[in-house]
Amino acid sequence: MPADAISAKFDVRRWDAVAGGAPRYQRYELELAPHTPILSALLRIRDEVDPSLTLRYSCRSAICGSCAMQINSKSRLACETQVGPEMDRHGRIVVEPMRNQPVLRDLVVDQSPFWTQYDRIEPHLKLDPAHPMPEGRPTSMTPEQVERFKETPRCIACAACYSACPAVEADAAFPGPMALAKLYRFVVDPRDHATQDRLVRIQPNGLWLCLRCHLCTEACPKDVRPSERIRDLKEMAIAVQGGTERGSRHAIGFKENIEDRGLLSEAKLVRQTYGAAGMIGQLPQGLRIWRKKPEVLHKPRRIEGADELDRIYEALDRESEGAP
Amino acid sequence: MKLAYYPGCVAQESGRELDMATRWVCRALEIELVEFPSFSCCGSGFVDEANEVLNLAINSRNLAIAERAGLDLLTICSTCQGMLTLANVRRRDPAVRARVDAALKPIGIEYRDSVHVKHLLRVLTEDVGLDAIRSRVRRPLAGLRVGAFYGCHLLRPADEMGWESGEEPHAFEDLLGAIGATPVDYRGRVLCCGFPIQFVKPDTASRIAGRQILDAKSHGAHAMATPCPLCHISLDAYQNQAERAVQQPLDMPIFHLPQVVGLALGATPEELGLARHLVPTEPALARIGSSSL
Repeated sequence: MPADAISAKFDVRRWDAVAGGAPRYQRYELELAPHTPILSALLRIRDEVDPSLTLRYSCRSAICGSCAMQINSKSRLACETQVGPEMDRHGRIVVEPMRNQPVLRDLVVDQSPFWTQYDRIEPHLKLDPAHPMPEGRPTSMTPEQVERFKETPRCIACAACYSACPAVEADAAFPGPMALAKLYRFVVDPRDHATQDRLVRIQPNGLWLCLRCHLCTEACPKDVRPSERIRDLKEMAIAVQGGTERGSRHAIGFKENIEDRGLLSEAKLVRQTYGAAGMIGQLPQGLRIWRKKPEVLHKPRRIEGADELDRIYEALDRESEGAP
Repeated sequence: MKLAYYPGCVAQESGRELDMATRWVCRALEIELVEFPSFSCCGSGFVDEANEVLNLAINSRNLAIAERAGLDLLTICSTCQGMLTLANVRRRDPAVRARVDAALKPIGIEYRDSVHVKHLLRVLTEDVGLDAIRSRVRRPLAGLRVGAFYGCHLLRPADEMGWESGEEPHAFEDLLGAIGATPVDYRGRVLCCGFPIQFVKPDTASRIAGRQILDAKSHGAHAMATPCPLCHISLDAYQNQAERAVQQPLDMPIFHLPQVVGLALGATPEELGLARHLVPTEPALARIGSSSL
């Protein structure tokens, strides 16, 4: 036993889809060095204390992505999360299966929803039939082209981002961070011929449901930064298709809205997103708010230096129009 | 302490109670607010979706305004905090910086990266300090269980925002403790309020808001408090729709951050604009023995 050993308390969620019943939290206590990975601790529990504890793992080195789970409510790889800091912060380590995927037993989930969304983005190169890849030779790419997707190939498909995503939790239609980060990877690949089609098809009930809460970027063990790639996709989708979706109309509308006076006009934004006819549906809620906060209908003042803002728009917004 | 006051759009219009409460609290704590009628909207994350560099440029302009006055910048909105910080951080990429500066230079604006962007929550907990706040409390919020609700952009991405943990922050809870309230620990405190997709898919947005409120409630919260006026819109102004989405009454009073601080420092509900909320705050006020509205 190392001199700096601590008494680590684990509360592990136990449940079996076949046996059913209510889930329970089982307490295990172990003397461990603070730097012990939580996966090692769970395997010790399974091997020495309770052989019925069920979990998924393989490489133990943050390469395979098999041991993602919730550790004190954070989606993490158990193999690279240490016992000490969790005990310091929480006084115990609550271990639960990933969210947003049905639990099979204890810490093992059925990953079908995650992989179904991955399939939806058609994660393979779609080549131009007129320009097939040269047989037997590598296809060259410039360093600048490779730079555009330097992060996304690092993804190990652990599903920690999918587990952490509140949009997935609230709406099963949302593809989730990993699928969208992968989509980005194909959209910016110069060999792919389906860029426009991909950007058009991912929008309805897809791209614009991202909350940009960045929880995926916090959860990702490989710093893929899915939320930032999703932002990139949104800008490219607007460039390809303009404001055809409520989400894109809202983003474009907001941008145009503040160009006018420098500050947001709330009522105008509703009109920009929903259109004049669509505003009727918003009336009851609007009236409720207006009674307490009549300023929702105010036109904001024009900021000093609004002309500077115009010039910035002229310099940067005109140049972005066009294909990605 | 003297700071450039960046109120953001909402606090200047439909969320004026946030502006009122901020001014009251800053007066009480001797924080001098310097106003700049030239500040523009931060783009609220939506301009970032439409045009990243444009978003960085309009916020670099805002930062340059504070820089010319030699002041750090105070925000009172998690989203403003996020967007203005992003303008500082992303400029470290020389290619981005070149594009932003090329748009600013012809209009005589130069930004030299000297402005710190600080949310009121950070100013209160770090610069004023919890001890100083504790010593000024005239009406401890004893017995009031409050669920802090952070707002995503104040925290994440944590490596870019450069302050609290992105998933396990504690500043707001520390502050609530200092003013005598009991902070409630619940998972939803760091999750999204649904606001970014309120216009995209209202049902989903309301379900998200409803779940976070339910989560706070099931952990015993009498009220919630947020440092973000956009979260306040989702949680307060749209709480009726959240109730419909989760199919149960919520009745959760939602305070702006400076309103809970103001109450503890002795402000009246009128001074904090509490009557402007859609969900009545009286049940929470009754618990701390505050005069009714």
